[in-house]
Amino acid sequence: MKECKIIIMGFGSVGQGIANAISLKKEMINEKYGVQLKVVAVADSSTSAICQDGLDEKLLIDIKKSEGKLSAYPDCGNNMSGIDVLDAVEYDLLMEATPTNIETAEPALSLTLKAFEQGKDVVTSNKGHLAIKFSEVIQAAEENGVEFKYEASVGGAMPIINFTRETLSSCGIKSIIGILNGTTNYILSRMTSEGSSYDITLRESQELGIAETDPTQDVEGIDAACKTVILANSLLGIDATYDDVTVEGISSITSQAIDLAKKDGYLIKLIAEVSQDNLKVSPRLVKKGSSYDVNGTLNMATIKTDLAGDITVMGLGAGSLETASAMLTDVISILKNKY
Amino acid sequence: MRLNLVLELLDVPGQLVSVLEPISGLGANLVTVIHKRDSKNENGKIPVQLTLEGEQESLNRVIERFEELNITIIEKDGVINKELVSTILIGHIVDKDVRDTTDKINSLDGVYVVGFDIKLDGEDKSTALINLETDYGKKQFAFDEIAKIADEKGLLMINEV
Ligand SMILES: NC(=O)c1ccc[n+]([C@@H]2O[C@H](COP(=O)([O-])OP(=O)(O)OC[C@H]3O[C@@H](n4cnc5c(N)ncnc54)[C@H](OP(=O)(O)O)[C@@H]3O)[C@@H](O)[C@H]2O)c1
Repeated sequence: MKECKIIIMGFGSVGQGIANAISLKKEMINEKYGVQLKVVAVADSSTSAICQDGLDEKLLIDIKKSEGKLSAYPDCGNNMSGIDVLDAVEYDLLMEATPTNIETAEPALSLTLKAFEQGKDVVTSNKGHLAIKFSEVIQAAEENGVEFKYEASVGGAMPIINFTRETLSSCGIKSIIGILNGTTNYILSRMTSEGSSYDITLRESQELGIAETDPTQDVEGIDAACKTVILANSLLGIDATYDDVTVEGISSITSQAIDLAKKDGYLIKLIAEVSQDNLKVSPRLVKKGSSYDVNGTLNMATIKTDLAGDITVMGLGAGSLETASAMLTDVISILKNKY
Repeated sequence: MRLNLVLELLDVPGQLVSVLEPISGLGANLVTVIHKRDSKNENGKIPVQLTLEGEQESLNRVIERFEELNITIIEKDGVINKELVSTILIGHIVDKDVRDTTDKINSLDGVYVVGFDIKLDGEDKSTALINLETDYGKKQFAFDEIAKIADEKGLLMINEV
């Protein structure tokens, strides 16, 4: 029987979602594609669990939740972490879900390049290395003849990269305009429905765990700008990096602005625009009832094509199992291609 | 009677024919057609100038038919069709001379301020909604120019998608 040995790097919300998704779907994958998925190593920031015979996905999650680190995994837990794990075990595919870093791109960049050098395929949800070194990473994957997939990095569970490439492969893509950050969409939606101020709404979102303690990445448009870069490179062939995006966040949006917009039939949304002459994230007016009128933490994107007209996708942009679903779909497409 | 129209068409084969076809069937005659293939506008479309002759009723039917076909009429008997757009400015709008801001916008070619609503946030920043009428095809020009004014005055501008 064919086997795909997996390392999961980063065991936070997404990493645990991956373990969960694998445990839920490995039987289906085996039946349908004839490949047995086996998690051979999992690492967090300072420890790992490594076992060539395979780890138990549920137990990994339980241990991480109760002990806080993977070294507590019976028999297989240890204090090795990061890049060393890639040398410690035989594997086929790296699923990388470490924190996004848009200054250094680390640890994702080193982990990914090392896996490529070892001839391994990589599936990621990380945006940092893609936002600042897209072409370098893609080229490295090509040179090493390995697969590299990153659907989850934009829009979480919302299909966009594979969808546009595969399902819309007959079309030229003129532009993509969308709401690519769930946190800011939630804040703006609440400000609209409650008439509340930005500061109060942000605090409420933090209490609900929707916004992070340090919300800068989301509210200043940085996260959406990273996704803009990824879409520009992957779908429009624009060789751009983070610095090429004009970014304006939502922190200066007043409740008065939302009110005035509403009176005139508009909503204010944080919109990412990806086209040959515009890479931009900024608050924009959208018509009530239009396809941009999408509330809560949902993401959406309208893909403007030459043959098919406008096509709009929508879905959950974040969440543990939701994001993991996109990564598992990437894994399956690698299985279909290579195994 | 005669009617002069300027339409906007996609630059693809067959477009012109599909527009001209309904005219005679509706009881109007085509007098002239000027197809300016080398003057594409900002949407990548080309203007086509038509002169029609016929009874008022027939001419009305032609216009209705064009509207059904989703053909944009830019100009009718020399009168330019307008687009309505909105924009929001946030910042120290009052301190930075509201009058001067609207005057500057009004002085832009083909751009007219038709509505202005301002809300103050205590002593702090204020927010203004500006409704504009622009000549057909001048929308992007208006946004670009207003962005410059906003930038000069340190105002945040929120535009339509
Ligand atoms: N959350 C979402 O819904 C979502 C959606 C789309 C994309 N993403 C992206 O997915 C990635 C993971 O997000 P997340 O929400 O799961 O983050 P998270 O909950 O903060 O988890 C990050 C994990 O990475 C581990 N880690 C940190 N530094 C590491 C290193 N040097 N080597 C190995 N592991 C390291 C952390 O270890 P400790 O456990 O020891 O701290 C933690 O387990 C990010 O790049 C994010 O942008 C997330």
